[in-house]
Amino acid sequence: MRLTKPVFRGDRRSFLRSGAGVLGVGGLLLSAPSLLLARQPWERLDVVRELLDGSEPSTTGIDLDLPLVSEDGSSVSLSVSVDSPMSDDDYVESIHVFGAGNPNPEIAAFRLTPAAGKAVVATRVRLNESQTVIAVARTSRGEMKVATRDVRVTVSGCLSRNGDSSAMGLDNPRVRVPPNPQAGNPAEILTLINHPMETGLREGEDGELIPKRIVERFQVELDGDPVFEAELYQAVSANPYLRFHVKPRAGELRFSWTEDTGETVEVTETLDPA
Amino acid sequence: MKHFITNRRETLKLLGATGAVAALGSWGVPAWSNGGPGHVVVVGGGFGGATAAKYLKRYNPALQVTLVEPVERFYTCPFTNLYLGGLREFESVGHDYRELKDRYGVNVLHTTAQDIDAAAHTVTLGDGSTLRYDRLVLSPGIEIRWDALEGYGEDAAEKAPHAWKAGEQTLLLKRQLEAMDDGGVFILSAPANPFRCPPGPYERVSMVAHYLKTHKPRSKVLLLDSKDGFSKQGLFMDGWAEVYGDMIEWVSLSDDGRVVRVDADRLEVETEFGERHQAGVLNVVPPQKAGWIADRAGVTDESGWVPIKPATFESTQVSDIYVVGDATVAAPMPKSGFVANAQAKVAAMAIVSSLAEREMPPASWANTCYSIIAPGYGISVAGVYSVQDGAIAEVEGSGGISPRDADPDFRRREAEHAVGWYNAICQDTWGTRPA
Repeated sequence: MRLTKPVFRGDRRSFLRSGAGVLGVGGLLLSAPSLLLARQPWERLDVVRELLDGSEPSTTGIDLDLPLVSEDGSSVSLSVSVDSPMSDDDYVESIHVFGAGNPNPEIAAFRLTPAAGKAVVATRVRLNESQTVIAVARTSRGEMKVATRDVRVTVSGCLSRNGDSSAMGLDNPRVRVPPNPQAGNPAEILTLINHPMETGLREGEDGELIPKRIVERFQVELDGDPVFEAELYQAVSANPYLRFHVKPRAGELRFSWTEDTGETVEVTETLDPA
Repeated sequence: MKHFITNRRETLKLLGATGAVAALGSWGVPAWSNGGPGHVVVVGGGFGGATAAKYLKRYNPALQVTLVEPVERFYTCPFTNLYLGGLREFESVGHDYRELKDRYGVNVLHTTAQDIDAAAHTVTLGDGSTLRYDRLVLSPGIEIRWDALEGYGEDAAEKAPHAWKAGEQTLLLKRQLEAMDDGGVFILSAPANPFRCPPGPYERVSMVAHYLKTHKPRSKVLLLDSKDGFSKQGLFMDGWAEVYGDMIEWVSLSDDGRVVRVDADRLEVETEFGERHQAGVLNVVPPQKAGWIADRAGVTDESGWVPIKPATFESTQVSDIYVVGDATVAAPMPKSGFVANAQAKVAAMAIVSSLAEREMPPASWANTCYSIIAPGYGISVAGVYSVQDGAIAEVEGSGGISPRDADPDFRRREAEHAVGWYNAICQDTWGTRPA
């Protein structure tokens, strides 16, 4: 039986109450000229414009999927898929996800290699309010792709407002690797770890802010070669969940989660293609 | 119901205006053709549809109203969990349409609606005939997404019932509980949001635990959840610990509670990370979408649910079609019978107003969800909603939830209020009174 306090609720009022003091002007960083010129949602976010670095992104060949309406902003399913051969000379090397209406717009950054086989990643995220979510992918050839999705966040009157974790630190890492994946067919890998993903924006019962404590990095290697890596921010939901792919070849998969305290947990699994 | 839509003066003003043009259209002839005030067809006779039919006639008795509902006796989902717990007879949740026919003059057709042609404004019925409408109300409830959970098709539901539509499925689940060995495991798989009746799975395991504690005390209840939080969670978990000790175990999404595969023959489920659980009785509450006739009408979006205009509950996609109840995207209002009833009154007022070419008064809605944890142990959550900045939102400071630290007397009174609520809303919707 676990009963804990909400970590980061999908309720704007309570969030602002706890977050306003720390954030001051918030993380949107709107500057007047960019606002005037902005025609697309991604042009309104400084972090995204920096990432694009002047290049004109394509809006095709990338898909960002989130529910149109989410009844619980503390855990919203998100997936990004990018059309790519994922070959040694043409692959998606990074996918960045932003929430324009969150106190800190960065949600997560994923780094992929050709060993991933497929540029499809999924996780669960915290959305503070109704907003536009933006995904930016960069290929090894320097092409940029962008997708946006407007999400309405509401909290149902009959629904709870948690989605929190009683875990104190890195707890119960779970991995699902298909038992005998078909060679040549990228295998879907699921991972989950129990962790509170404390935002540093939430007050405890004593009225003091609970210090930030998050899993900030997740790495996957196959026999020492990097396959997939994720950089996580406060907007990844408690108990980070990640779904991605690996091109099957016999070897040992090593998964590691690293907290911002420096603590790391590792799990290994054998990959045994049919 | 006391919060419902509008102040009485405005309603009366409006009724006066529409009453002036009232002239009953003769049956079977499209109302517009003889200058009558209009023909409204309502599809679905649950909380939303029956309420819509009744209130259309109350707001303008001259309207021609046809209700299309296959069954002559409708069983509500609310309070079926009490039947499963042994607190009620199944017939006590059944309601008929006599008041709508006899007192309000609604033409009730006990047949199915097979298709809707929005351009022609027609509904095709089970016998192939068509009804023309000026305005259409759809209250189609939910449809199970038979393709959304591996191994859980319609055949599987005969072995591992969902019992999420009251009727044969409810009776099947009850028979299975009665046949289960003492010491067996009852497993309920709860879906991700949104789904019909957010507190429903948690009340269900409470009532099943009550039945098992009474008759099969060595049994266990395992609740595998696709969510990390649920409605009235703290109150439910306090109540479970207090009344049932460790009989009920809840496994959250983040503890690998999401069921991804069902083997109905073996009564076995598999979770996302490969855990397998064997049940004595397996109750799968599967992912859902709007009732299928909503698809035929073209009012659903990619989510499978129906987006509506908040102030009127008219479809955003098809004009002259109003949709109420569980099928709609009306969050933060929950998918509850109470809400369907309140939405139906708003849609009825919107229709009466639009046919009379009058502006309708601003809408507001109320909801209370009672849940019974054990006999004499009730909890509730309530809210009031209005349109704010073009979207439905909870009215600041309205509603609330039962206190965590209430005494047994408070819980007992809430259980009594729950029965009062059920009797009142059924009387408001179908005109039926407790036997």
